[in-house]
Amino acid sequence: MKGKSFVAIVVLLAALFLVTQSLFVVDQAEQAIVIQLGKPLEGTYQAGLHWKIPFIQEVIRFEKRILLYDSDPTEILTKDKKNLLVDNYAKWVIREPLTYYKSVRNETGAQLRLDDIVYAQLRVELGRHTMEDIVSTTRNDIMTIVTQKSDELARAYGIDVVDVRIKRADLPEQNEKSVFERMRAERERQAKQYRSEGEEESLKIRAAADRDREIILAKAYEEAEKMKGEGDSQSIRIYGEAYGQDPEFFEFYRTMEAYRKALKTETTLVATPGEEFFRYLDGRKEKPAR
Amino acid sequence: MAWHGDQGNPWGGRKRPDVEQTLNKLRQAFSSQRLPFGGRFGLFPVAVIVIVALWLISGIYFVAPDEVGVVKRFGKAVRTAAPGPHYRIPYPVETVHRPKVTQVRRIEVGFRSVGDRGTNKSRAVPDESLMLTKGENIVNLTFIVQYKIGDAMSYLFNVKFPDITVRDAAEAAMREVIGKNDIDDILTTGKFQIQQDTKDSLQRILDIYGAGILVTAVQLQDVHPPDQVMAAFKDVASAKEDRARMINEAQGYQNEILPRAKGRASQMVNEAMAYKEAKIIRAKGDASRFSQALSQYRLARDVTKKRLYIETMEEILPGMNKIIVGEETGRGILPHLPLPGRAASPPAPAGKP
Repeated sequence: MKGKSFVAIVVLLAALFLVTQSLFVVDQAEQAIVIQLGKPLEGTYQAGLHWKIPFIQEVIRFEKRILLYDSDPTEILTKDKKNLLVDNYAKWVIREPLTYYKSVRNETGAQLRLDDIVYAQLRVELGRHTMEDIVSTTRNDIMTIVTQKSDELARAYGIDVVDVRIKRADLPEQNEKSVFERMRAERERQAKQYRSEGEEESLKIRAAADRDREIILAKAYEEAEKMKGEGDSQSIRIYGEAYGQDPEFFEFYRTMEAYRKALKTETTLVATPGEEFFRYLDGRKEKPAR
Repeated sequence: MAWHGDQGNPWGGRKRPDVEQTLNKLRQAFSSQRLPFGGRFGLFPVAVIVIVALWLISGIYFVAPDEVGVVKRFGKAVRTAAPGPHYRIPYPVETVHRPKVTQVRRIEVGFRSVGDRGTNKSRAVPDESLMLTKGENIVNLTFIVQYKIGDAMSYLFNVKFPDITVRDAAEAAMREVIGKNDIDDILTTGKFQIQQDTKDSLQRILDIYGAGILVTAVQLQDVHPPDQVMAAFKDVASAKEDRARMINEAQGYQNEILPRAKGRASQMVNEAMAYKEAKIIRAKGDASRFSQALSQYRLARDVTKKRLYIETMEEILPGMNKIIVGEETGRGILPHLPLPGRAASPPAPAGKP
């Protein structure tokens, strides 16, 4: 009885072992092929539980997810003969594991192939465009074309190139310097412009202010003189009307008044008794000489 | 466990302790009876039942509120599970991933935070932050990207290294957007638009990869000209200030002189008005005086005239120097008299009426 159960247990374990050797699981993130005695078999195994012949068949798993190929930055010459330091990456995926396994075997091999393909395509395509295009306008188109061409070439290795993208496109250090110089010069020009604009505006405002002041004063002068003229003319008229009543009397009356003002002091009068006022001083003449 | 194929597989840990436990219990059960098989056979089925029960219980799992459960059956993703308690066929049939889908992840481009959060210390990464703008200028710019898992299934199974992917794509997207913008816009008013454009572009790229990632924000941090040209840019700003200052000063001058001129003008006009009015009034006064005198004069002409003459003389002569000479002798000595201020006031002949 003991012996029997011992055998049963052994058989059970052996069967279990056999089953584990025959079954294999492919993860959702993976795909697999089966190799029989070193020779790859047709067919790709997707996620799930699969059978294989134990011992003589071997499972090889590959990534099913999108993989990253990141190259080192390289200097590339643009159409307008400018150096550009380009750092790009590519996204790729293993489309046909069998072809992939046969041609590049693993990711290291694939990366090497992609290095050749993507770099060459990028170089060719960027050489067709000016720097301005690459940096500003057609960057996306360039990347689309490079992606397509790389994809076509990579198909031979069972690889799909999903996307090639320029991560950075910068100037090499020596070119950077000249850009900085130019930027500085541009800014200096701007600064000068702002300052002269300020001066211009300032002068304009000041000149306008001076002009306005002169005009205001001149107008005031005009008005003032006009008013004074009116005053003069009216007073002349009033005087004329009044004095015109008797010009002779006016002359006498006004002269007397003028004497009063003009002759009061600091005046030396040399008079002879014969004259009007002093007539009586002499006593010789009874009557004024008329 | 040849079938598990656990080659650095990032998942697949969770249920190991259960198995270990089960095996341990099994071992204990056997060792306590000292015999693996035989002896008291009555306990063996019980042990089997206990083991099976434990195995079945290990199928219970919990999904936390910030997680989504993704269940794989023999490696193949079959369903997702919302937060809460769930059941799965226990290992090795079904396994569960529980990515944190509400957690917002953050990457920094152009700088790296150093030390603890909140210390605000960071280290610059110039290779990432210097980029070409339109018109071949260079700008120094740092930004952060915030994202979270949009679709757990895609996030887990479509792209390897999703975080690196976000970083690379973010750099590409930002440089693409910056390349299309003018440096002045980037430095001043264009920031919001740049963030928006970059976010859209980044999301588009990630969607091409089917990354299952949702970009929640792209935020520019420091945006400034490169250090090498910083001084020149600052000078432009101060030149702008200078311009404003000059204009202000000129306006100040204007505000100073114009009111003054207006005041002066009003003064001039008022003076003239005063002159006019005064002149007229005075003229009227003079005229009235004359007219009145005239009317009286007409009543007695000779007498009045004489009286007026004498009164005037009376009034003015006291203040005068007077020399009275005889009519004949006077003529001879006249030129020799020492006359004070001869030039200023020549001898006035006494007027004849």
